Amino acid sequence: MSDGLPLLILFGSQSGNAEELAASAAKQGSALGLSSTVKGMDEIQIADLEGTQRVLIFCSTWGEGEMPDNAEDLWQAANEENPPSLEGCNFAVCSLGDSSYEFFCESGKDWDGWFEKQGANRLIPRLDCDVDYDKPAAEFTSEALANFAAVGADGSFDPALITQAKDPSPGEVEISDKPSDSSQTSEEVELSGGGLEELLTSGDRSLAILFGSQSGNSEELAAKLAKRAKDYGLEGIVHDMDGFDFNSLSNMKRVLIICSTWGEGEMPDNAEELWQFANSDSASKLDGVHFSICALGDSSYEFFCQSGKDWDSRFETLGATRVVDRLDCDVDYDSPAAEWALEALPALSAVDSTGLFHEGMVESIKRFASGSSTGADGDDVFSIPEISSAPIQVEVSVFRYDPISASSGSDVWLCVLPARMSVLEVLRTLKSTQDGTLTFRDGTPDDPNTAITVNGKIVLPGLTKIDSVAPIREDSVSIRIEPLSGFEVIRDLAIEPWSLERKRESSRPWMVASTREGAKIPQGVIGTMSPSKADLLHPLCSYSSHTALHSSSDATPYSNDYLGPAVITSMWARRNDPRTSPKKLDHIDELLRSRNGIKAETDLASIHRQSISGPSISRALLDAKNAVLNMDRFNGRHGKHVWWYTWSIKSSGRVNDTVIYRQALGPGGLLGNLFSGVTARMVFGFTRTGGNMLNGMLGMVAPPAGIGKMPKQFNSSVDKHHEVVSIFNELDGRF
Amino acid sequence: MPLKYAYHPGNIAHSSAPEVSQTMPTVARTLDIKLTPLEGATSCGAGIIRQANEMLQITLNARTFAMAESMGLEIVTPCAATAGNLHEDLNKLRGDSILLAKVNDVLERNTGMTFNAETEVHHLLHVIVDEIGLDKLESKIKNPISYRIAGYYGPNMQQEGACGNDDVFDPCYMEDLLRSLGATPVYWESRTKSVGVPGLFSEEPTVLKQTASVISDAKSEGADLIVSACTLSHTVLDVYQAKASRVTGLSANIPVIHLTELLSFALGHYNNRLAQLKTRLAVIGD
Repeated sequence: MSDGLPLLILFGSQSGNAEELAASAAKQGSALGLSSTVKGMDEIQIADLEGTQRVLIFCSTWGEGEMPDNAEDLWQAANEENPPSLEGCNFAVCSLGDSSYEFFCESGKDWDGWFEKQGANRLIPRLDCDVDYDKPAAEFTSEALANFAAVGADGSFDPALITQAKDPSPGEVEISDKPSDSSQTSEEVELSGGGLEELLTSGDRSLAILFGSQSGNSEELAAKLAKRAKDYGLEGIVHDMDGFDFNSLSNMKRVLIICSTWGEGEMPDNAEELWQFANSDSASKLDGVHFSICALGDSSYEFFCQSGKDWDSRFETLGATRVVDRLDCDVDYDSPAAEWALEALPALSAVDSTGLFHEGMVESIKRFASGSSTGADGDDVFSIPEISSAPIQVEVSVFRYDPISASSGSDVWLCVLPARMSVLEVLRTLKSTQDGTLTFRDGTPDDPNTAITVNGKIVLPGLTKIDSVAPIREDSVSIRIEPLSGFEVIRDLAIEPWSLERKRESSRPWMVASTREGAKIPQGVIGTMSPSKADLLHPLCSYSSHTALHSSSDATPYSNDYLGPAVITSMWARRNDPRTSPKKLDHIDELLRSRNGIKAETDLASIHRQSISGPSISRALLDAKNAVLNMDRFNGRHGKHVWWYTWSIKSSGRVNDTVIYRQALGPGGLLGNLFSGVTARMVFGFTRTGGNMLNGMLGMVAPPAGIGKMPKQFNSSVDKHHEVVSIFNELDGRF
Repeated sequence: MPLKYAYHPGNIAHSSAPEVSQTMPTVARTLDIKLTPLEGATSCGAGIIRQANEMLQITLNARTFAMAESMGLEIVTPCAATAGNLHEDLNKLRGDSILLAKVNDVLERNTGMTFNAETEVHHLLHVIVDEIGLDKLESKIKNPISYRIAGYYGPNMQQEGACGNDDVFDPCYMEDLLRSLGATPVYWESRTKSVGVPGLFSEEPTVLKQTASVISDAKSEGADLIVSACTLSHTVLDVYQAKASRVTGLSANIPVIHLTELLSFALGHYNNRLAQLKTRLAVIGD
C-alpha cells in the first residue's frame, strides 16, 4: 500500500457499472497521490464513515428509485437513529440512472442529501448520469479526484492545491471512422474501453497441472491449460502423475488435476502409484493448496469419472481448498473443459503468492484475460498491478454484406486500441459504439462457431489478440476481417454453416462398430486400443472448429461438391479407428475415392499453413490421399499425374512436363488445350517477354513439345543419377 | 564479399520456364551473389512425390541437402514451391531424429553421404530483402519499372518459419522490393492464395476458378502485371489464364512474369525483352 492521501470509494451497484467506475477512479487517483480503497456498500458499516475525510460515491438507482441491492442495508442503517457526524468529511457523488424512469438517479440524490445533512462538505456538485454515462462520469471523476487531492491531511480543502488528473488513462480507447472520401475529416469518437492490464507476476505464480492419463486426452488437456494459464498471469507447469513427488504439493499454492478414469472406476496407469501414496500415512497435509479438478470419463460406464472424484475428495480431506467445483466430463469433453477452465484459471490466478485466495478479484481477472478489463485495483493486500498495454493505431476493415440489397463492401475504422485487445472485443466495441447492425457470431473465446478470417488467417477471434494477428508496422496495424471462405454469407461476418453440415450428413459420419476382441480385466471385458493408434486418432478429432477447418482449403470455395478437409478428416479418423466395421470401412473408402473425396483437394499447402488446423490435419489428409491413390492403383488423372511425375524423377532426377502432360491429360486433354487457348499461349508464349520461341531444336522433331513454354521432350539426367535410381529401388520398387 | 549459395533452380526452370534459368544468373551476378549449381539435385517433389511415397520425397530432398552441406553452403531457389517443399522436409528431418536416422541410413547406403541438418533453404526474395538489403538493390537499378505490379507469393513458402522475417499471412517483402524497383506495389488479398497447381490435371475446373479468382483480384486492384515468386504457379497463372477466363467469365488476361525476370530487367539485363514487355503493356494491355 502506498502512503498517499486516503480516499474511500464506495459503490452501490446492481449491474456492475458503478463498481467499474469506482475501480477506474481508484486507479486514476493513484496518479494524484491518492491511496484509494474501493468498497461495496455492503462491505462497510455506517459507523465506519465517521472520521473519514474523503468519500467518493458511485451509486446506481434501481427499479422505482430504489437503492441497488448491495446498498440497501447501508441506506437503512444510515437512516436509523443517531447517524454518525461527518464534520470534516469531504464527499462527492456520481449517480447513475436512466432518465426514462420517473425517479431518475434517486439513490444518488438520496446519498448526496444524506451526506450534506450529516455535515459533510460537498466538494463538487453531484453528477446525475443517464445511460450514456461514460464521458460525463469520466469528467466528473477527474474533477472530483483533483479536488480530493486538494484536501489536506487535516481534512481541510484548499482549492489552490487542485491539479488536473491525468487523462486519458493508458487503456482508453479512441475510435474514429475512417473517411471513405479523403476530403472528409475523420471524426474521433472517444469510447470507454478502459485500460487493459496484464498481471505482473509478483512472487510465485506457478500453477501445477497434474495429469493422469491412459489414452493421452488428459495430457493433451493439461498441455492446453498450461498454455492458457499465461493469459491469467500464471506459469503452468505440467506434471505427469507417474513419478511425481506427492509431498511436494504441500509447498504449492495452486494445483489443477486432470484425470481420466479407466476400466471400472480405476486410476489410469500413470496415476496409480501417486494415488496409493496419497492415501498412505506418508502423504503430507495440503493446507494452503488451492485446487480444482477436471475428471474425464465415459457416462456409459458405471463408475463415471471415479478417479477425478477420488482425487477431489482426497485433496479436500488433506486440507486443500477447492476454488472451483470439480467438472465431470463425458466423452465430448472439449467444450465443457474449456468452460471449466474459464472459471478455474481465474480463480487460481486470484490466489496470491502467500496462498491467500482473493475471491473478489476473480471477475476482474476474467475481464482482464478476455481483453476487456479496466484493471481494477484489489483490496488492501492484493492488487493486479498496473501495466499499460501500449495503445496502437489500428485500421480495421470489416467485410459487410447486406442480404436485402445484396450489396457487399468493406467498412473501415481507424482506432487507437490496446494492443492486447482480442479481435472479438474489437468487433463487440465496433458494434456497441459505431454500428449496431454489424453482424458476427459472438460467443465464448473458444467457441468454434465464432471463427472468422483476419488478414487471410483463420482464427477464433476471442483467442486472438490484435497485436498477434498481423505485423505491427510503424506502430500501427491493419486488420482485415472477413467471413470464412467456402460458405454462403448470411450477413456481414456471419456464415451459413449448413452447407458443411449437409456434407457431413452425406458422409454418414456415425460409428458403425464391429464385434471385436476385448481385454479381460478383473472387472470384466473392455475394448482396448493401442497407444499408437490412439495417438494417431486424437489429433484428428480435436481440432478447434469444423467450419474453420473446412475453410482452410483454398479449393473449397470453388468446388461445390468437394466434401472439404473437415469431413475428410473425420472420415479418415473413422477409417483408422479399429472399432469401425468392415462394411463401414468400405463405405468410407468409397467416399474418399469419389470425385468429391480427397482427390478434389487441389493443394494441401493452403491447409498446412493454417495453424487452426495444423500440420497434423494436413498430414492426415496426405495419408488419405496416399491411401486412395494406392487403392486406385494410380489410375485416373490424379493418379497418373502423381505416378508419371514420380516416374520422371526416377528417369532423370528432373520433372518431365511433356510426359506428364501427355500421360495425365491424354489425347483428349491435349486436344482440349489446343482449342482452349492453352496450347496457343504455350506456343506463342505471350508473356515469355521475348524468350526463345523454340525451346531447343527438339521442338522441330516432335511438335508441339519443345515449342514456346512447352517443355523438352527429354531431360538430361542430374549428376550421379544412379544414386537417385538406387534410392528409388530401395524405397519404392513400383517406379 | 559475395554471398554464396548452393543453387536449386526449382522444378521447371530446365523445361517449361527457361526464362528463369536465363535471368537468374544475371540477377545473381549483379547483386554479388555467387551461385554454385546443385548439379545433382533432384526435383523437390513439389508435394506430388509425397502423395505416392513420402519417405521417397524426403530422402531425395535429404540427398539434395547433403550435397549442399558437403559444399558448406545454404540453398537458394527462385521458386516458392521448391522453397516451401524443401523447407517442409528439412523441418521434418530436424524434428524427428528417428526419421533422420532412417533417411541417413538409406542415403549412406546409396550415396555414401549423410545429412546433419545443418543447411538452410531460402527463396531468392528473402535473400535479397534479408541479406542483401533493398538499399543495395535500389542502388543497382538501371531500368526503373514504373508499373502497378501485383506480387504473387503463393501458399508454399508462406508457412511459419519458411518466409524469412516476413509475415506468413500479411507479407510485405515483395511489395517493398517492388517499390525499390520503382514500381507501385498493389496490395491484394489473394497474393498468398493457392492457384491449385498440384490439382491442375485432375481438378481442372476447380483450378481454373482458383486461378481466375486470383488474377481477377489483382486486376480489380489495378495491377498492370503480376510478378510471381513461384515458378510452378506462374505456369497456371500465365498459360491457363485465357481458359480460366472463359470458364469463369472473370477477366483474367494479364501479363504474368517471374520475379527473376523482373529483377533482371530492372537491373539492366535483357533490354530487348523489357521493351517487349513494355510494348505488350502499352499496346496490347489486357
